[in-house]
Amino acid sequence: MTEIIVVTSGKGGVGKTTTSASMACGLARRGKRVAVIDFDIGLRNLDLIMGCERRVVYDFVNVINGDCTLKQALIKDKRLETLHLLAASQTRDKDALTEDGVRRVLDELIADAFDYIICDSPAGIEKGAHLAMYFADRAVVVVNPEVSSVRDSDRILGLLASKTHRSVNGNGGVKEHLLLTRYNPRRVANGEMMSVGDVKDILGLDVIGVVPESPDVLAASNAGVPVILSDTSDAAAAYEDAVARLLGEELPLRFLDEPKRGFFARMFGG
Amino acid sequence: MTTQRAEAASGTAIDIRFGQVGLIQVLIWTTDPGAILDELTGRVATAPKFFQRTAVSIDLGPLGHEPSAEEMQGVLDAVRRAGMCPVGLASGAAVAQALSRPLDLPLLPPFREFHPPAEAGARARREAPRPEPEPEAGTLAQLHAHPVRSGQRVYARGRDLVVTATVGAGAELIADGCVHVYGALRGRAVAGARGETGARVFCQDFHAELVSIAGVFRVFETLPPELAGKPVQAWLDGDALRFERLGA
Repeated sequence: MTEIIVVTSGKGGVGKTTTSASMACGLARRGKRVAVIDFDIGLRNLDLIMGCERRVVYDFVNVINGDCTLKQALIKDKRLETLHLLAASQTRDKDALTEDGVRRVLDELIADAFDYIICDSPAGIEKGAHLAMYFADRAVVVVNPEVSSVRDSDRILGLLASKTHRSVNGNGGVKEHLLLTRYNPRRVANGEMMSVGDVKDILGLDVIGVVPESPDVLAASNAGVPVILSDTSDAAAAYEDAVARLLGEELPLRFLDEPKRGFFARMFGG
Repeated sequence: MTTQRAEAASGTAIDIRFGQVGLIQVLIWTTDPGAILDELTGRVATAPKFFQRTAVSIDLGPLGHEPSAEEMQGVLDAVRRAGMCPVGLASGAAVAQALSRPLDLPLLPPFREFHPPAEAGARARREAPRPEPEPEAGTLAQLHAHPVRSGQRVYARGRDLVVTATVGAGAELIADGCVHVYGALRGRAVAGARGETGARVFCQDFHAELVSIAGVFRVFETLPPELAGKPVQAWLDGDALRFERLGA
């Protein structure tokens, strides 16, 4: 049984691609067969975050147009055997995607017995974002703890409830999860940032993970290694927890409080 | 003589004020008077009190062609024979401009213009905008149990609207009757959308952006501290919109 998960947000730059890459790696590391698809046609990024940009020969649009087979276009991850990437086209625009084309690619992945298909949505609410969410069974809505991101997420949740295959056909709707990224407990404590509770209240959804703001995320992106694979990072641990919760485990949220600074750090301002 | 002197004393014979009134729009898809009369009489029969002698504005937006003044005269006759009183042309459509003078009807500026769907066939267009028949009095309120998200709009035609979840900022609730929100109201609430001045807005956790009753509205740029986050009701007292904390 294949599950299609869309990673979406409305607003740009909140961490959709980072989340897609890390969630896909996390699921693959648990032995699941995972395909992750970059829906951001024209602004191909997921391959960079995954570190396989030099191995992209064929892309999503090529498959839709029948220029190649899906097998030819799927890039196998070098670290995790069960992880596959379908890259976006860099030279085309979002009009190259069609509902029928997307459906055919997803059907082929389902027939190939993938456990999870992760759809990395572009920002916005136009065609690319619409098609990324349209066939989803579940949605991970990535939100930063600030008002505009929360407002955009509310809008996306409205679309998930009305403009998806499941909602249109009355199949119980898309299961929605909230994932907070760039969370900074110190700034929350100072009242400069919205808290998990604030965001939860406004959006009225359960939180599947809170990823703390961390320099490791940028470093990992630049290195082409999804941050979940960097062993020592809090962000990696937070994503690992989120993957576990996605699979039904119940874990308490971590990294909501400011880390205690040691005696020497306080003495020497380290 | 006394009245003349009284007028001279006050210095005015008339007052000119800007006021908002609710007006029924009749959107026409055809200029065939027979078809219009048939449909209108049927529609009027479902709510005779509501439609008889009602002032209406004619909206030519959906019409696929530019009608002549004679054609339009036939349309107006049909509308009058159905019991309504055409008082103007909605100025959204370009053709209305040219017809205003020969028909001796003023142009009425619309709040929202009507754009017919370009690709839909003529038959589909005739079917699509047909509103539901007027609900009987005493119809249950319309219940909405899911969160109303930013950008979504829920309309309860001819009755109350009850929402048992949160209403996000940028969402719109519209009801011809009252609006009840058993959750946070962060968006807009429009009660008495067709002019029912007795309609009210109730909510459990008040953060509204806008509250309107029968066209009288108030925008909340900043929330009054005595209302923010509180259970609140709003009603119309004459021309003034009043707010009060519930259960205080």
